[in-house]
Amino acid sequence: MKKFLAVVKHEYRKVVLKWSFLIGTLLLPFLAACFAVVPAIIFSLKGEPTRIVIVDPTGKIEPRLRANLSSEKMEARAHRAAEESMKDFTPSQEEQIKRSAEQFGQEFEFISYETKGSLTNDIRSDLNSMIVNGMADAYLMIPEDIDSGNSTFEFRSRKAGDFVMNESFQEALNDAVRSQRLADANISEDKLKDLTHPVNLDSKGIDEKGAERDSGGTFIASFVIGLMIYITLAIYGQAIMGAVVEEKETRIAEILFSSARPFELMMGKLVGVGLAGLTQLGIWVASAAVIVSVIALQTDLSEVVGTLPSISPLMIVYFLVFFLLGFFIYASIFALIGSMVTTVQEGGQFAFPPVMLMLIGFYFSFAVVRDPNSSLSFWVSIAPFFAPITMPVRILSETPPFWQIGLSFIVNAVAIAGLIWLASRVYRVGMLMYGKRATIPEVWKWIRQA
Amino acid sequence: MTEQNVTLSVLNVSKRFGDFSAVEDLSFDVRAGRVFGFLGPNGAGKTTTIRMIVGITVPDEGSIELFGQKISPALQDRIGYLPEERGLYKKMKIVDQLRYFAALKGVSAADTERKIDFWLDRMQLGDWKKKKTSDLSKGMQQKVQFISTVLHDPDLLILDEPFSGLDPINVEFLMDVISEFKTQDKTIIFSTHLMETAEKLCNDILLINKARKVVSGSLRQVKESYGRNLIALRATGSESVLSDPSIVSKTVVHADETIVHLIDGTDPQILLRRLIDGGAEISKFEKVEASLNDIFIDEIRGVKVEK
Repeated sequence: MKKFLAVVKHEYRKVVLKWSFLIGTLLLPFLAACFAVVPAIIFSLKGEPTRIVIVDPTGKIEPRLRANLSSEKMEARAHRAAEESMKDFTPSQEEQIKRSAEQFGQEFEFISYETKGSLTNDIRSDLNSMIVNGMADAYLMIPEDIDSGNSTFEFRSRKAGDFVMNESFQEALNDAVRSQRLADANISEDKLKDLTHPVNLDSKGIDEKGAERDSGGTFIASFVIGLMIYITLAIYGQAIMGAVVEEKETRIAEILFSSARPFELMMGKLVGVGLAGLTQLGIWVASAAVIVSVIALQTDLSEVVGTLPSISPLMIVYFLVFFLLGFFIYASIFALIGSMVTTVQEGGQFAFPPVMLMLIGFYFSFAVVRDPNSSLSFWVSIAPFFAPITMPVRILSETPPFWQIGLSFIVNAVAIAGLIWLASRVYRVGMLMYGKRATIPEVWKWIRQA
Repeated sequence: MTEQNVTLSVLNVSKRFGDFSAVEDLSFDVRAGRVFGFLGPNGAGKTTTIRMIVGITVPDEGSIELFGQKISPALQDRIGYLPEERGLYKKMKIVDQLRYFAALKGVSAADTERKIDFWLDRMQLGDWKKKKTSDLSKGMQQKVQFISTVLHDPDLLILDEPFSGLDPINVEFLMDVISEFKTQDKTIIFSTHLMETAEKLCNDILLINKARKVVSGSLRQVKESYGRNLIALRATGSESVLSDPSIVSKTVVHADETIVHLIDGTDPQILLRRLIDGGAEISKFEKVEASLNDIFIDEIRGVKVEK
C-alpha cells in the first residue's frame, strides 16, 4: 500500500507539475471567459456620435427619421426586440434590458444642409467632399419618389463597417418610410400594428417534475459538457499511454518491477493520472461557476445565462463520477496498448479504436440532447465506453430516474474491473518485452497464461 | 567459505517461454562477502535468471531462496538491481527520480534525503541534484543509476554490466564501492561479458551457455583446472615441433608469443627438450594459466581445453 501511494504521488506530480498542465488548466477558462465576455464589452463601447447629413427633397421623411433616431426611440426599439425574443421578464432582467438598450443605442448628430436647388450629382459630390474633409461622417439622400420600388436611398458613411450602426439606422429609416407610406395611404399605424403582430410560439421543455425549461441553453451546456469529457478523456488517456511507453522504452520498467508488483505500479499510474485529471476538471468547473455568476451580475449576456439549465451540486458529483468511470475505462485500454508497443508513434496507430469509441460516444450525445428519453438515449447512457460521455449529457438535459444512473454506474464499473484485469496481465508481460511490437495472438497468449 | 554464509540459493530452476527453454535445471549458491561473477554469452539465460532472482518473473520449476526465505515481494527491498539496459525519466530532476526509486524500495522520507545527498556527493554529482536527466552526460547518468541501486542499502547487489559506458576513472571508483560492499559482507552478483573485469573482481564464477550451467566454482579452482598444460612461447624455428600431434593439441598465435596447448599428461620439459634438440632459438618459455577469456571462448565453442 505504501508503494502504491508512492506511485500515485509520483504520477500525480509528474502530470500536475508540468507547464502544459498549468497552461491547459488556466488557458481554457481564460479562453472561455474571453469568448463570453469580450464581445459583449467591445460592442457595448459607445462610439462617438455619428454626424449625418440628410437630403430630403420630399421633406416628409427627415422629421420622422430624426424622431426615430432619437435615443428614446432607439431604446424603445431595443426593448421591443428583446421582448419578442423573451417572455416573462423578472424585474432585474427588465433592468438589464434597459441598460443594454442604452448601450446599443447610437447617437446621431444632424447637420443641416441647404440643397439650394442644385442638381443631384452636384449635391452628391459636395457631400462626398464633406465626408472626405471630415465635416460629416455620413449622408443619406432620399429619392423624390419614395413609393416606387425602384427608388434607392443612398447612404454613404465613413464607418461602413459599423454594422451595429448600419442596422439600427436602416431600421429607423425603414420605420420612417413605412409610416410615411401608411400615412399617404390613410392607414393608421396603430391599426396596422394590431393586424401584423407576430404570433407567440412559446417553446419550452417540460421536465419530470413538470417544470418548464428553455431548450437553447440546455443544448449548449450539454454540448460543452460532452466535449469537455471527451477532450479530457482523450488527453489523459494518451498521457497514460505516453507514460507507459516511456517506462518501457527507457527500461525503467525493469527497475520498477524489481521494486513493486506490476499491478500496484499500473493501478498507481491510473489513479495518479486520474487524480490529476480530476484536479483539472475541478478547477474548470469551479472557474466556470465563477465566470457564470460574474456574467450574470454584470453584462447583458445574462439573457443567455438565464436560459442555462440549473446545475445542482449533485449534478457536478455525477459529472465527476462519470468522468472517472470514463477515465478508468480508457486509461486501462491505453495502458494495455502502451505496454504492447515499443514507441509512442506505434502506440498512436493502435490508439485508433479507443479514440473511435470516444468519438462515437460524443456523437451519441447529440442524439441524447435531442431526445433524452428515447430508448437509444437509454441504451447509450448505460453501455460501457459511451456512458461516461452520454450519461452526464443526459443528466444535464433531462435527469433520468436514479436507477438508470445507478445501473449505468454498475455496468461501467464492471467493465472497468474487466479491462483492468486484462490490462494488468498484458502490462506485466509486455513491459519486459523489448525490440518488437507484440502481435494480437501473442497478447492473447499473455492474457491466458499469466 | 563455509556453507553457513550462503545468501542466495538457486535450486533446479527452469524457465521456458513456449517451446524455448531460457533456463534449464540451473542450480548455484552465492555466498556473502564475495563477488559472484555470472558469465555467459548473449542469450545464455543470464537476464532471465536475474529476473527470477529479483522477483520480476517466477520460475516454472525449482526454487530460489534468498536469506533463507523463499523469494517474495518483501525481500525485493533488500535487493539492489542495476539492469543492463537501464534508463531514467528524461525530463525529471535527478533528485525527484532518486526519491521515487527510494520510496519504491521502502526507504523513509527522512533517510532518503540524507542518503541522496551522501551518494550524490560521493559520486561528485552534488551540483547536478536539481538538473534533469537530459542535461547529464551518459557517464553521469550511469552514476545516477548506480546510486538508485544502492540508495536503500541493499544486502544483495545485482549488477548487470555496470561498467559499460564508464571512463577508466569511474570504473576504478565503482570498483572501490563494490569492494566496500564486499567488506560489509554483502552479496554481490556481477554479470558481464568482459572477462578481464571479471577476472579482477570476482571470487566465484558461474558460466552458463544455452540455458545450462557450464562451469562453476571459485575463480582459482576454475583457472587451475584449465591452466596446467599451457605454455607461452616465443621462439624461432619451432614450427616442426609444434605441429607434432603427439605432444601438442593446439597453438594460438598472439602478437609476440604463441600459446601452446599440450596434450594432457605431457610434461612441458619434453616440449622444451624437443625444441632445443630441433635447433629452435627460445627467448620465452613460460608455464601460464588459462585466462578467463580463453576458458570462456573454449567452453562456449564446445572445444574444451585438454585437462
